[in-house]
Amino acid sequence: MMNDKKVLMQVRDLSVNYKTRLGMVSAVDHVSFDIYEGEILGLVGESGCGKSTMGKALMRMIQPPGRITGGKLILDDNDIMTYDEKQMQDFRGRKVSMIFQDPMTSLNPVQRVDEHLVEAIQVHFPGITKEEALVRSSELLEKLGIQSNRMGSYPHQLSGGMRQRVMVALGLILNANLIIADEATTSLDVIVEAKLADQFRDIREEFGVTMLVITHNIALVAELSDRLAVMYAGHVVEIGSVYDVFDNPLHPYTIGLLYSVPNIRLDDEKELYKMPGEPPNLTHPPGGCRFHPRCPKAMDICSQKEPDLIEVSPGRHVKCWLFQEHPEEAEESVEVTL
Amino acid sequence: MKKDIENNPTQAQSSETPDWLLDLDKVGFIRRIFLARKWYGGDWWFVAISAVLLLFIIIVGVFPQWFAPYDPSAEVGPSLLEPGVAPSSYVLVAPIEAGEITLVDIGDKSNNIGFIIGSPASQALREATDTLNDAAPEGVRYQPRQMRYETLAEGLDALAAGEIDGFVAAPDVLENVLDGYPTLRIANTLREDASKGFVMGTNQIGQDVFSRIIWGTRIALIVGLSSAIVSLVIGVPLGLISGFTGGPLDRILTLIMDSLYSFPGLILAISIAAVLGAGIGNIIVSIAVLYIPTYYRIVRGQTLAVKKELYVEAARSLGTSKLKILTKYIFPNVIPSVVIIFSVNVGDAILTEAGLSFLGFGLPPNTPDWGIDLARGQDYVRRAWWLITYPGLMVTMVTLSFSMLGESLSEILNPKLTER
Repeated sequence: MMNDKKVLMQVRDLSVNYKTRLGMVSAVDHVSFDIYEGEILGLVGESGCGKSTMGKALMRMIQPPGRITGGKLILDDNDIMTYDEKQMQDFRGRKVSMIFQDPMTSLNPVQRVDEHLVEAIQVHFPGITKEEALVRSSELLEKLGIQSNRMGSYPHQLSGGMRQRVMVALGLILNANLIIADEATTSLDVIVEAKLADQFRDIREEFGVTMLVITHNIALVAELSDRLAVMYAGHVVEIGSVYDVFDNPLHPYTIGLLYSVPNIRLDDEKELYKMPGEPPNLTHPPGGCRFHPRCPKAMDICSQKEPDLIEVSPGRHVKCWLFQEHPEEAEESVEVTL
Repeated sequence: MKKDIENNPTQAQSSETPDWLLDLDKVGFIRRIFLARKWYGGDWWFVAISAVLLLFIIIVGVFPQWFAPYDPSAEVGPSLLEPGVAPSSYVLVAPIEAGEITLVDIGDKSNNIGFIIGSPASQALREATDTLNDAAPEGVRYQPRQMRYETLAEGLDALAAGEIDGFVAAPDVLENVLDGYPTLRIANTLREDASKGFVMGTNQIGQDVFSRIIWGTRIALIVGLSSAIVSLVIGVPLGLISGFTGGPLDRILTLIMDSLYSFPGLILAISIAAVLGAGIGNIIVSIAVLYIPTYYRIVRGQTLAVKKELYVEAARSLGTSKLKILTKYIFPNVIPSVVIIFSVNVGDAILTEAGLSFLGFGLPPNTPDWGIDLARGQDYVRRAWWLITYPGLMVTMVTLSFSMLGESLSEILNPKLTER
């Protein structure tokens, strides 16, 4: 799949803070990673670890009281953090588009399906006539398995799966390079979900788009994505190809997360693994590695210094002291060499 | 790829929505209202009753001249005539020796004409003189001096004694009494026996209550609708902007609107009307100010809720501009509640207008208006029940039908009920 490995979007030091009564919540904290062209990148993690916030931050859609406090988002050699509001409006939908959590409420109840699609086209290409836009919309909907006689339906007349496919069509209609699917399948039943997952793959092949699939459904990610990023408490703790991560999880959190997935082969004696502790309060995140209070392999250094996200093997990044040199040792060695 | 999707069983899902539901989309607006029960579980008869009532009221309000038999401000009959009772005829009694005389002969300023005090005879006499004056040539004016008597006997005695030139009375009361006065006879008829009376009677100055009510509908509709429209036009955009932008503007507007809202309604309207003075425009303004906060609060609250909906965020993620989000995404989803408040509001405004006029802060005194009629009629409650009953009923009926329309619209338009 990743023959060329060309980088589509570079995320560098992205931080998002929410201002609350209890203080600043750092929902995303100095996150850096790359999204490659044509891949499906899965982003998994517990509820409240900052997955959705990061998805929105990639489109600069964080609403007050949240704010992007730093970092760069580089797409096509441009830092979109420097765009003004008008450039952002053009950017959203045309370069990066988003498919939302809940298909039941993400379509305007008073607009028909065709109106949604035509409007999306005309926002970005005011020159296109309504007829042309309609033709394009119906072609795309047919490809996604919605008959064109459904174009005039209102959202409440469609089933959940159909609404979600309309949302997908809205994401695709402008030929966006990157589609962010934010829990796009969460509210669908498993059968529709499986179909949609298949469809995502088909879409990727046919339209050549890149997808960032944000979900807490590990099984879906295993089925769907090429690479996997694991988030914990606002940090990306591990990134790697989906096979590597599933076969050989390195970060203790990833290990725990994968063990927590219910498995049909579990026998009666063996209980489902439950990770000890609670996700940290992000107004006062633990010092050092944010996972250390729950980590079975915690060391002294884990509570003192934060590890970096470093490449441990080709294409495999882990943010854990287990896989990188401890700074004291490094300093000592520096002293020795000096 | 395409073939793949054709074989895909997802296509079967397209027929999930039953066809009859889709067919319902194709019917017209009126049929859709009557299908309300099937659609939304709403009660169609509720809609039907209020629609018929409103249609009738609106037709009456727009074309009062089709329905009103008389000019509402003209004195067309005897005062305080009971509904349905025909005004009786009146005759002029004169001495036989005077020969064939009519009012023309004894209608001069130097002549005296008597009648029983407080009887409608004075009205008949006045009408007859008015008719003569209208037909008279320039310079000639009929204005007999009026003499009032306590009883019929006193008057006839005076006539027989030659103190007065004529006497006006109803023929049925004269029938037997006149035999006792051989020198007197009925000279001629002042007013014919009216074949029909007034449907709702007349008021204390002889105006037709029915005509006044019909013309009052027009005033009530003008005031009710235009004040509701004025407050809608001001309140809805303010609420939309305030809810959408938030921040300091939102706080200041909310403060102003809440302080307006906290006033007792009628007292606020009275104070504004007292400052602005009488007149229909001023009444409309003072009632409109009263209802702006209602629209503002509802629309602002709805905007705050809709703003957080996922489809608004989805629209933003497609690069839709703020103005377009406000007009195409938020506004249409706020409309249903606006429609409902509007219809309830019109009824309320009519009630307030009647209240203002009743208290004397409203329209000029002789305007055919329900509130004014009620205020005038209250002095005669024990003698003439029809003066306050009919305007009161009209106020009730119009307010009720507007409220009913609001209720039924809320059943049809409520988005929660559209979910199946």
